[in-house]
Amino acid sequence: MTLSHCIALSLFLCAIGIFGMLTRRNLLGILLSVEIILNGANINFAAFAHFRAADPVAGAVFPVFVMAVSACEIAVALAIIISMYRRKKRLDVYRLEELHG
Amino acid sequence: MSDFIFYLIAGIMVILSMLAVSLPNLLHGAVALVGSFFATAALYIMLQMEFLALAQIALYVGGIVIFMLIIILLTNDLGVDNSLSRVSLSRQVGKSAIIVGLVLSLFLFFKYNPSQLLTATHRAAPVSIDQIGIRLLSTTNGFIVPFEVISLLLLASLIGAVVLSRRDTKKEEK
Repeated sequence: MTLSHCIALSLFLCAIGIFGMLTRRNLLGILLSVEIILNGANINFAAFAHFRAADPVAGAVFPVFVMAVSACEIAVALAIIISMYRRKKRLDVYRLEELHG
Repeated sequence: MSDFIFYLIAGIMVILSMLAVSLPNLLHGAVALVGSFFATAALYIMLQMEFLALAQIALYVGGIVIFMLIIILLTNDLGVDNSLSRVSLSRQVGKSAIIVGLVLSLFLFFKYNPSQLLTATHRAAPVSIDQIGIRLLSTTNGFIVPFEVISLLLLASLIGAVVLSRRDTKKEEK
């Protein structure tokens, strides 16, 4: 197990997450793909801290902040999803087009 | 031996993540995500970061995925996507081709770039939980300011979630 292996793994995870974001049409599926991308980023932090950093503790602290921020994001996003579901009864992103995006 | 375990964990992670983004039923996808996060915790233990492994299991598996499962059960009919709300196969193939090209170019960049970014200088000592706790709250070279800012952010997002998902009481009274 070297640094390149871990970087390749996180690259694969990021690619899978982006693929999910592009192909899912359900809002919850998109949220799930974002979690996979964040997971890959955390692996990157941990691998660089383990193999290269002069101070591995800082590299171990930073993913904790990423996890906390993603928990905040999930809480707000799920509240938005609930209120949207109440209004629309569906979560298909291709049909949520009031903003003409 | 370490290489074999790494390949095993990485294979499990990649396969379960692929399942999580491609299974038609969102409920099954979330369960696959649980497995992927457990494999990530195993990888953190291989990288000698036990606190991250514990936080991964407690926060991601115990918190976020369970939360998502609850929301899936609350909104859809057991997470079933109807066939109308699937992206067509040709578009899926096109998008995956774009992503494979992106990954390949990044991979070639890392393989042939002249900088020494990916050469491991040394293997760090194991990071213990005590060190992380001291570092989080130390004022000299620690992370006390982001720690407090994160606590404020958590409070704000919790209040925001309550406000956003509250029923509109005025309409119901009328």
